[in-house]
Amino acid sequence: MTLLTDELKAWIGREVHYPAHEELGRASIRYFALAMGDENPLYLDEGYAREAGYPSVIAPPTLVCETCQYAHRRPEANGYIGHEWHLPITDCRMIRTGNDYEFMRTVLPEDRISVTWTLGDIVERGSSRGGTQLFVSSVARYKDAAGEVVAINRETVVYQPLEMA
Amino acid sequence: MIKPTKSVAMVQPGEPLPMLERTFTTVDLMAYGAATWDWHRVHYDVDFAWAMKLPNVIIDGQAFGALFARAVLDWAGPQAFIERLSFKMKSMAFAGQTLRVESEVTQIRDRTVVLAQRLTSGSRLVSEAGTEVRLPAPA
Repeated sequence: MTLLTDELKAWIGREVHYPAHEELGRASIRYFALAMGDENPLYLDEGYAREAGYPSVIAPPTLVCETCQYAHRRPEANGYIGHEWHLPITDCRMIRTGNDYEFMRTVLPEDRISVTWTLGDIVERGSSRGGTQLFVSSVARYKDAAGEVVAINRETVVYQPLEMA
Repeated sequence: MIKPTKSVAMVQPGEPLPMLERTFTTVDLMAYGAATWDWHRVHYDVDFAWAMKLPNVIIDGQAFGALFARAVLDWAGPQAFIERLSFKMKSMAFAGQTLRVESEVTQIRDRTVVLAQRLTSGSRLVSEAGTEVRLPAPA
């Protein structure tokens, strides 16, 4: 039985846009640095950041790709509020296999970052444990208020049938 | 006085970077989830994790990206810019575990230093990254 149904193939190429609700903000940057235990003064000290050549404190590079600040909805039963495709896949568990981040410029607290997620591809491949699994590749493009891309996040998740899990 | 930033003339292929270690407690995972607006229960609700047949709450795999980036920027200095960071998940890591990032220079292309990075918990490989960091032109 194939996991990659025609219904599922029709999802390839779909796009969802999340407009920015506010600036990224100094509070989000400091909160992230505190949570990670990262005391790099570029994220916390205006004077230090300016001396290093930046207009103000800057965001840690991966913050825009890690945060769901773009989202604005009630949490799901599991608590999640970030982007999800809600693909018509049943009896599988989803595992993120990796992320490929590309950064175009340093993100600043004043940046208003909107996000567009695109479902790039769905591929069915054999598993070393027998049977097949689905690999779903998505791309998130993070843009500033001028529409310039500041970062790209290519993410792949795998859906494994529960009997294989 | 800002910390100096490395230039490619100061870097050699094969050079190891200082190791970075970080233990994520359940409190750290709650803080990380809140700071990234990710309130998924699997990162702080141990009853939910047990119901998923997991031994404890999971360290969010996206935090590995922040750890890889930090290891590179702590080494390279304030004017370094990460151009690319590509990481793969190899196994799950759970609250209370200490994660260790080890990094090595593999290549130098113009002003970009290419690094191979490994994130482990004890002897177990948790994630691997290929990272490219651009260093400033020599003064």
